[in-house]
Amino acid sequence: MTPTETKPVDANQPSGWQEFWLKEDWWAVWLGLGIVLLAYVFYLSGSSISWIAVSPAKWSTLSQLGAQLSTTGIRYLALLGAFLILFTVVISFIGQKPKAFIPAFIFVFILSTVIYIAGSWDQANRYNLEPPLVALLLGLFLSNVVGLPRWLDAGFRVEFYIKLGIVLLGATLPFTLIIWAGPVAILQASIVSIVTFLTIFFTARKLGLDHRLAAVLGAGGAVCGVSASIAVAGAVRAKKEHPPIAISLVVFWAIILIIALPLVSRTIHLPTGVGGAWIGTSEFADAAGLAAAQSYGGYAGKGLGISGTADQALASYTLIKVIGRDIWIGIWTFVLALIAVTVWEKSETNSKVQVGQIWWRFPKFVIGFLIASVLTTLIVHGNTLGDYNKLVKPALIAPITSLRTWAFTFSFLSIGLTTRFRELAAAGIKPFIAFTAGVIVNVILGYILSVVVFGHYWSSVVTH
Amino acid sequence: MKILDSIQLRISGPICQQCAHFQNEPAHVEEAYRGLTVFSSGFASVRDQDGFCEYNQLYLSARDSCPHFAPRHTPPKPII
Repeated sequence: MTPTETKPVDANQPSGWQEFWLKEDWWAVWLGLGIVLLAYVFYLSGSSISWIAVSPAKWSTLSQLGAQLSTTGIRYLALLGAFLILFTVVISFIGQKPKAFIPAFIFVFILSTVIYIAGSWDQANRYNLEPPLVALLLGLFLSNVVGLPRWLDAGFRVEFYIKLGIVLLGATLPFTLIIWAGPVAILQASIVSIVTFLTIFFTARKLGLDHRLAAVLGAGGAVCGVSASIAVAGAVRAKKEHPPIAISLVVFWAIILIIALPLVSRTIHLPTGVGGAWIGTSEFADAAGLAAAQSYGGYAGKGLGISGTADQALASYTLIKVIGRDIWIGIWTFVLALIAVTVWEKSETNSKVQVGQIWWRFPKFVIGFLIASVLTTLIVHGNTLGDYNKLVKPALIAPITSLRTWAFTFSFLSIGLTTRFRELAAAGIKPFIAFTAGVIVNVILGYILSVVVFGHYWSSVVTH
Repeated sequence: MKILDSIQLRISGPICQQCAHFQNEPAHVEEAYRGLTVFSSGFASVRDQDGFCEYNQLYLSARDSCPHFAPRHTPPKPII
């Protein structure tokens, strides 16, 4: 056989196993579930992983903080070491360079530690120092004003960190809550997703934009931001220049909404569960929404007139976003791919639509989220509320929550550090109008469903 | 039904993954689409094995195909 001859391969052959170690989603599952199981083993032996899952305690003065760090400093170093080892393994397997990742991650960890500690200051709320927003704004400042070398990007893995955090979040949510609230989350998210998609799609078409660009924009605004846009772009055979237009618009609006949605929710005193549901319905990307939801949850119990708990904001957000929207991306791509080959573009390629893409494009980290929830629900089952609060929570749930907060902080900081506004592609006025029309519909409809229609439901979410 | 004719369960024949015009390395996709990593990733499951077709100037699935298929000089990485 000459070098130019290649045997046709059967794409359905078992080489699909490689996905288990080449995709970030699966690594989030392995690490997340590994941490949960390790925490459980320690818990069963009468111990806890809380030593390494360090988090700063509340502090009032610098001398207090100094005293705290003098005793816990070694634990932060141990945590850095553990994260470095685990993440470097992941980076190596997916084919990136550890040499660039290691110093970049140390940079992310140091900044995250400063942000986490600043957020534990007892006056932080007075100055609006909510860690997610501080992380985002600090990252934006460093990347857009100061400027950072490109090689540092190796450590700014927004998606990987957020997926790991979501799997760990699953371990702190009872599976019964997912069963109880899942159908409402799916109903609410589906209504908003379909209406938003149709708004963007038909506005774009009315403005004369290509079918495929209209679909890529619509998915970005209606399903799960950049991930949905890039998935639909591949499914409908978008022109090469289409995805960057959607990326620019999603980034632009997602960052505005990270700040605007918690601010408006706070102004009108929405309960945390309701605010989280609204953010889950109206934000685009997982990481952006979690930054907004965690910020809003942080306002609870601070004398601002906001009822509920921080966990309720995260729980209702995650139910709407992950269960209500993310898991349907495969269905969206399949349907749009089918429309593309049968209606829009019949001539450019000659292949058919594969049903398998419903699974191929499924965000696999959701599997880890669900398994983690089932595991901890089984572990906790049989404990009284008193035992849960006295034994299970401090030894098992609190350390996992601490590691989850670290993963989220890495992600929120990385959002800012990777957002270089001058590098984003110019979207053009027509795509901007179409996408913005969808944003307006999305935010208003999201508010009506989250607050007016299902408000009583989301305000009563039980997270323990 | 005509629409059902457009659906298939298994792939047969040469596909983009084996084509010289196709490029889908995650790092390459992240480099080409600046801003992708802000809220997504070249290594995400949702992206499957999609990549660039330099002939048609499209972003499409590695499982796609077209009449302009040209075999690679080097063996393709296995599709996952």
